[in-house]
Amino acid sequence: MAATIDFVGRSGAGPREAADWSRRQELMTDLRSVRGRAYPRVIGLMREPSWVLFEILLPFLSTAAFVFVYRAIGAPQAYVGFVVLGGALTAFWLNVIWMMANQLWWEKSQGNLELYFAAPMHFMSILFGMALGGMFMSSTRAITVLLIAGTIFGVTFSVDQWALLISVFVLTLGALYGLGMVLASLFLVWGREAWHLGQMLTEPVYFVSGLNFPVARLGFLGALSVAFIPLATGLDAMRQLVFADAAFPVGTPAPLVEVGILGVMTVVSIAGARWMLIAMERRARRDGRLSVRWQ
Amino acid sequence: MTAAASAPRPDPARTTAAARFDFAKAEGRGIEDYLRTFAVAVRLGWQLEANWTDPFLFFIYSVAKPVSSALILVVMLEVIGGEAGRAFRPFVVVGSALWAFVVSGIAGLAWSILEDRERYRVLKYVYVSPSDFLTILIGRGVARLGVGLAGAVITLVVGVIALGVPFDPATVDWLLLGVVFVLGLGSIIGVGLLMAGIVIQTRQESWSYPEAFAGAIFLVAGAVFPLGVLPAPVQVIGLLTPLSWWIAGVRRALFVDGPGSIGGEGTVFASVFGHLQPSPAEIVLALLATGALATLGAVAVFRISDRRAKQAGLYDRTTGS
Repeated sequence: MAATIDFVGRSGAGPREAADWSRRQELMTDLRSVRGRAYPRVIGLMREPSWVLFEILLPFLSTAAFVFVYRAIGAPQAYVGFVVLGGALTAFWLNVIWMMANQLWWEKSQGNLELYFAAPMHFMSILFGMALGGMFMSSTRAITVLLIAGTIFGVTFSVDQWALLISVFVLTLGALYGLGMVLASLFLVWGREAWHLGQMLTEPVYFVSGLNFPVARLGFLGALSVAFIPLATGLDAMRQLVFADAAFPVGTPAPLVEVGILGVMTVVSIAGARWMLIAMERRARRDGRLSVRWQ
Repeated sequence: MTAAASAPRPDPARTTAAARFDFAKAEGRGIEDYLRTFAVAVRLGWQLEANWTDPFLFFIYSVAKPVSSALILVVMLEVIGGEAGRAFRPFVVVGSALWAFVVSGIAGLAWSILEDRERYRVLKYVYVSPSDFLTILIGRGVARLGVGLAGAVITLVVGVIALGVPFDPATVDWLLLGVVFVLGLGSIIGVGLLMAGIVIQTRQESWSYPEAFAGAIFLVAGAVFPLGVLPAPVQVIGLLTPLSWWIAGVRRALFVDGPGSIGGEGTVFASVFGHLQPSPAEIVLALLATGALATLGAVAVFRISDRRAKQAGLYDRTTGS
């Protein structure tokens, strides 16, 4: 009978047997990887006090500027609410662009990417961990902006369908971070262009998503945004649900339809992210560029 | 005769000359060195900004952001509609175009620090090179300002051609435009220097800090709405900000009879100075005074930050999350 030997904490008759993990072992390692990648983003909130000023108070002032534009032209109070809600949701979009889409490229530049690939876990665990940590990080900022701005500018929320609103919110985050996972692989392939693409995906996306105004006002362009950009879909659905009393320009689907669109976006983007990862890994192995930095 | 005795002896005069340290070389060539450093930094900054793609794509990327910012505001005005919205359009187009330039200036210096420290990891080598560090930073920042200026000009052109902003070159006060532009440029670089001093002390995620800071000044600078709609204490902060006077000056120079952002009925400016809108001379003087204060303060903050960074070893410390 072969003796059981300890191979880096795992027992087996030989290295091959020790490496042959059960489903449970794989799952537990993947879950630990998710927790491990989310950890620095969650704990980072406590360890860097400057973020309170730069990522909550200053963006709030930026949101306030758009409120004053509406006040300067005598807009109805409901539009102030639109701006506040849009300002809160920018936290998630910025997080998706800069800390999801750009992240793998960053990791490559810092020399961590090859370590991720060499570690015994599924790479999707890293993406899920980044997404969960990012959601927590952005939620704190979004909630704070919503509370401060809502209080200061006297925004009144009128919600009739809480369950639908929560569904919209969860699915919006799912679709947004799913998109972030897809972009992470794409940005990695695009190299230095990724940084500029990140810049390109802020204000132009804010515009076509109707960040500070009902997206229906953009006509066909707005319809396209609702169909393809989760920020536009989620924002429009939330506005319809949170400001139930406000007079809306017609042109966008009902919240229930937008829930369906967000659901499809979430599933497609997560499946797309998995496919992109496989394609990206295959290409990186073929070209040998996985650890080539600064390109 | 031994081998040692036959070996060539060093010339005592030459040995002494080689050992003597030439202090003049260490002092450099003064202004010539600064100019050369500045020119090289501008060129390097431009290469970093632009050499990743072809010029056409670079142009698209550079103008998409400021044009979109202007379009957001234009649609906001259209949503409300009416004469108030339409009359306000030149005001917001010019303001958002100028603001794109401001953001480039504020972010340029800070991003140079972050790029060199976090991405390329050469900040410590740049710092210990014989070139003046501040000159290198300003040079890198100027390259980004150039990109911002292009974005601002294109936004204005789009505003005039596509968004119906009335513009007549014959009515432009070119002298005022030139003076406030030069003075404002100094103030923008000063604020950029302040942000550079701050990000030296902070972590990798400081990438968003310059834009967040610019977003905060956006509120008090009268870029897209008159200061008069703000509460009085916030108006005072706006009046103490050089960028408010810069934007007011450029606006006044471009549209002599257009609405101003500083004064108006019931504003702090009107109650203190006794007239509704500042004159060009008042704008220049206020820009000069507030700009000088802001720039001197920024240099002081940068020097303090620089000293602390050297003591704490922050120039070669990379961070991440």
